[in-house]
Amino acid sequence: MKQKKTKSVIPGFGLSFGVTLTILSIVVLIPLCSLVVFSARLSPSEFLHTITTTRVLKSYWISISTAFVASAINAAMGLILAWILVRYEFPGKRFVDGLIELPFALPTAVAGIALTHMTTTQGWVGKIFYDLFRIKIAYTPLGIVVALIFIGIPFVVRSVQPVLEKIDIQYEEAASLLGATRRETFWKIIFPEILPALISGFSLAFARCIGEYGSVVFISGNIPYETEIAPLMIMSKLQEYDYASATSIALVMLAIAFVILSVNAILQSMVSKRVSGIA
Amino acid sequence: MNLRKDSGALKWTLIIIGELFLALFLILPLVFIVRTSLEKGLAVYFKSITDQYAVKAAFLTIKATIWAVVVNTIFGVCAAWCITKFAFHGKKILSTFIDLPVTVSPIIAGLIYVLTFGRQSFLFPLLDRWDIEIIFATPGIILATIFVTFPFISRELIPVLTAQGTDEEEAAALMGAKTWTIFRTVTLPHIKWALLYGVVLCTARAMGEFGAVSVLSGHLRGKTNTLPLYIELLYQGYDFTGAFAASSLLVVLTIIILILRVWLEGRGNKDADIRK
Amino acid sequence: MTVNANYLELRHIEKRFGDFHVSKDVNLSIPKGRLVALLGSSGSGKTTILRMIAGLETPDSGEIVIDGKVVNDVPGSERGIGFVFQSYALFRYLTVYDNIAFGLRLKKASKSEIDDRVHELLKLINCEGLEKRFPSQLSGGQRQRVAFARALAPNPQILLLDEPFAAIDAKVRLELRTWLRRMITQLGITSVFVTHDQDEAIEVADDVVVTNAGRVEQTGTPRELYVNPKTPFVAQFIGNTAPIDNYDKFQFFDSVGPETRAIIRPEFVSVSKKGENRQFVKSAEEGVVEDVVFRGSSLEIKVRVHDVVISGVRSVNDPIIEIGETVDVFIYRLIIVDGEKIVLQENKSLRKESVVI
Ligand SMILES: Nc1ncnc2c1ncn2[C@@H]1O[C@H](COP(=O)(O)OP(=O)(O)O)[C@@H](O)[C@H]1O
Ligand SMILES: [Mg+2]
Repeated sequence: MKQKKTKSVIPGFGLSFGVTLTILSIVVLIPLCSLVVFSARLSPSEFLHTITTTRVLKSYWISISTAFVASAINAAMGLILAWILVRYEFPGKRFVDGLIELPFALPTAVAGIALTHMTTTQGWVGKIFYDLFRIKIAYTPLGIVVALIFIGIPFVVRSVQPVLEKIDIQYEEAASLLGATRRETFWKIIFPEILPALISGFSLAFARCIGEYGSVVFISGNIPYETEIAPLMIMSKLQEYDYASATSIALVMLAIAFVILSVNAILQSMVSKRVSGIA
Repeated sequence: MNLRKDSGALKWTLIIIGELFLALFLILPLVFIVRTSLEKGLAVYFKSITDQYAVKAAFLTIKATIWAVVVNTIFGVCAAWCITKFAFHGKKILSTFIDLPVTVSPIIAGLIYVLTFGRQSFLFPLLDRWDIEIIFATPGIILATIFVTFPFISRELIPVLTAQGTDEEEAAALMGAKTWTIFRTVTLPHIKWALLYGVVLCTARAMGEFGAVSVLSGHLRGKTNTLPLYIELLYQGYDFTGAFAASSLLVVLTIIILILRVWLEGRGNKDADIRK
Repeated sequence: MTVNANYLELRHIEKRFGDFHVSKDVNLSIPKGRLVALLGSSGSGKTTILRMIAGLETPDSGEIVIDGKVVNDVPGSERGIGFVFQSYALFRYLTVYDNIAFGLRLKKASKSEIDDRVHELLKLINCEGLEKRFPSQLSGGQRQRVAFARALAPNPQILLLDEPFAAIDAKVRLELRTWLRRMITQLGITSVFVTHDQDEAIEVADDVVVTNAGRVEQTGTPRELYVNPKTPFVAQFIGNTAPIDNYDKFQFFDSVGPETRAIIRPEFVSVSKKGENRQFVKSAEEGVVEDVVFRGSSLEIKVRVHDVVISGVRSVNDPIIEIGETVDVFIYRLIIVDGEKIVLQENKSLRKESVVI
C-alpha cells in the first residue's frame, strides 16, 4: 500500500498518508480486525445454530421484505420526484429540492418517535386509517415500511436526478422525428438511460434499510416473529452480553448487504461497458 | 416547440403526487413534533428543554459532534490529498475502507467497537491496565460517532480535487513552495465550499446518530446519554411532551443544516463554474 | 399536374430567441432531389433553419412549404423528414440494428419488412455484421453512417444533416464526403446539410446557400458563388481572399469610387521571375518576394507590391523563386466592393493585348 509508483514533485505525501493510515487504523481497520478475529473463534455449529433459529430467520425475513417493499415504493416515488425536479417548473421547487435531504439530516430517533406517535391507533394519521379501513400502521410490518420509506427517499432521487439532468434533448428529438410519441420516447429512450441510476439508488436504499435501526425500533413494536428486525436481534443479544450470537447474526447481515451492493456493482459495470464501449 | 413540454394534466398530476408524498412523509412528522412538544403549553416546553439531564445530553451530543467533525476533517483532507495528488498502489482498497463505515448497519458498527474494546477483546488487558474506559462511556460514543460519519468529508473533497488535477500544485512545488503553503494557497481555495459542505453533512449525521451510540452508551442516565438517546429514554418512559420537546431542538438544527446545505451547494457550483 | 419545381421552400422566415434575431427573412427554394449546403460561420443560424424545417423549432412568422403544402402546423414526425444530428444522437442502449429499426417499429412495420430494410441499409452504409454492436463500439465514421441509415430507414422525402462531418477526424472526413455525395445522388433524396467549411460545401453540394448573421446572402452553385459573388460577404467568405484598400495604385485598374476596396484571391495573381517568358509581362507590376510557403501541391508566393502584400500561386515545377527576389506580378482581376455592391474588374491590358494577338 505504501509504495509510490513515481516520485511526485508535490510534497506532503508522507505526512498526509501517515495521518490517513493512522486514523483509518484506529477507526476502521483495528475494529474490523477484531471482528474477524472474534468471528474466527466462533464454532461453526454454534454459528449455524444461532442463525437458523426460527426467531432469527424470521427477523431476517422481516428486515429484507420490509426493506424491499419500501425501496420499491421509493424507486417509483423517487423517479417521479426526480422527474418533476428536473423537467418541470413549479412554485416551491427549490424548497422541494432542499426538503428531499431531510431524512439524511433529521436524527433517525426523532423521525422514529414522530412516525410512531402519528400512526398509533390514537395518532393523527393512524386514527384515520384505523377508523376508516381498520388498518393498523404502528407496531405492524406496515409501520416498518413507513419508517423505511422515510429513510430511503433521498437515495433514489439523488441518484436519478443528475442523470436525468444530463440527458441531451437530441435523443428525444431524434426519437420524435422517427415518429415516437412522448410515452414511447420515455419508455424506449429515457428510461433505459436512467435505469442504471434507478437500480443503483434502489440498491443503496435497500442496503441502508436492511441495517436501519433508529427510525424502525419505535414503530415496529418489536414483537418477536412479527415485527422484530434483524438489527434489533443483534441489540437484544448484546444486552444479554451474548456476543457470539450477536456477531453471528451480524455476519449474515453483512453478507446480505455485501451481496446487494455486489449485484449492483456488477450490473453497473455491465451497463457502463455497454455505453463506454470497453466490451 | 418544446418537446419536453408534457401536457399540463400529466405535469400537474406528477407534481401533486410528488408533493403529497413529501408532505405526508416529511412535512407532517415535523409539524407533528412541534405540535406535540407544545401540547402542554410553553412553560412545560421550556421546562422540558432546560431539564438538567436534557442539557447534559445536549452537551454530550455537541461534544461528540465536534470530535467527529474535527477528526473527520483532518482525516478527509489528508485522505483526499494523498488519493488525488499522488500515485500509489492500493488506492482502491483505501477508498473501499474509507467508504465501508456508511454501508454497515449502525448496530453492527456498535457491535464491532464492543468486540474491539470490550471485555472479550485481545486489547482489553491493555486497556484495563491503563484504566482506559471506552465502551459504555464517552470515548465509545465519540468513536462510534466518528465511525458512522467517517467518509462524509473525504467523499465531498475527492471529486473536486480530482477535477482540479495536479497542475497547480506541481507548478507551486516547482517554484519551491512547501506543503503547507501549497495546501493553503493553491488547494484550499478550490475545496473550501466542498469542505464546508462536508462539515455540514457530518454535523447532521453526527448529532443524530442513534443505533451505534445506543449500543455503546450503556444508557447511564445523564452520564452517557446523547440527545437522541435521551429522547428514546423519555419516549419509553411515556414522557411524550419531553421527548418531542427535545426532538424539536434537533428539528430546528436539522432545518438550519438543510438551509446551509442548499446555500453551500449553490456556492460550490458557482465556484466550479468560474474554474471552467 | 403542376410539376413542383421547388420541393422544399422557406418563405420569409423570421425567428427570434428572446432578443436574439436568429433568422431574418430567410427564403429558400430547393428543387426535388437536390443536395444543398447551408454554409455560414458558426452562430449564423444554420442549425436553427434546419431545425425549423424539421419542426423542432417553430418560426415566429413565415411559411415552410413541403411539396406544395404549408407544414408549419404539421408535427416534425409527419413531415417525412430524416434528421442526422450533429453528434448523431444514436441511442446508446440500443444496438445498431435496433437504432436503425427504431422508426420502422414505431410505424408498426412487420418483422420481416423491418429485417429486410435494416439489412438493406446496413449494406448501403457498408456496416454489415455490425448490427449487434452498441454505438460505443463503433468508430466515428461508422456512427455517422449508422445515424444516416437510421434517418433513412422510414423512407423520408427530405434528409437533413447538421454538420455531418464535424465530429470526424480529417482523414475519414474526406472519404465520407465523397461517400455521402454518392449515396445521396444515388438515392435521389432531397437533402440539406449544414456546414461551416466551405471546401465541404463546394465539394459535396449541388447548390450552396451562404448564410450570415441570420440572413441568406446568396444561393447558387459552388461555381456561381465563386465566380460571381453577389454580396461583399460572399466575395470575402468564399475562397482564400485578401483585402486591398488602395487598389487604384495598381496599373490597369480604375478606382470605382472613393469608399471602395478590392478583394483578391491567389488564383487572380501570376508571379514570374524576371525574364521568365510569360504572357502579359509588359503589363506586370514589380514586387519583392517576402515569403515562399510550400502548400504541398503548389507554392504560395507572398509579394510586396505598392506597399501591399499579395499572394500568388505557382507550380512546384516552375523555376524556383527566392525570398528577396524582385519578380513580375500580374493581376488578372479584382473584386471591387462598393458599399453593398460587387463589381468584378478585369485587368485592362487583357483586352488590349488580346487585340494585339
Ligand atoms: N434554443 C435556443 N435558445 C436561445 N438561443 C439559441 C437557441 N438555439 C440557438 N440559439 C442561438 O442562435 C444562434 C444561432 O444558432 P445556430 O442556429 O445553432 O447557429 P449555427 O448552427 O449556424 O452555428 C446562436 O448564437 C445560438 O446561441
Ligand atoms: Mg450549428
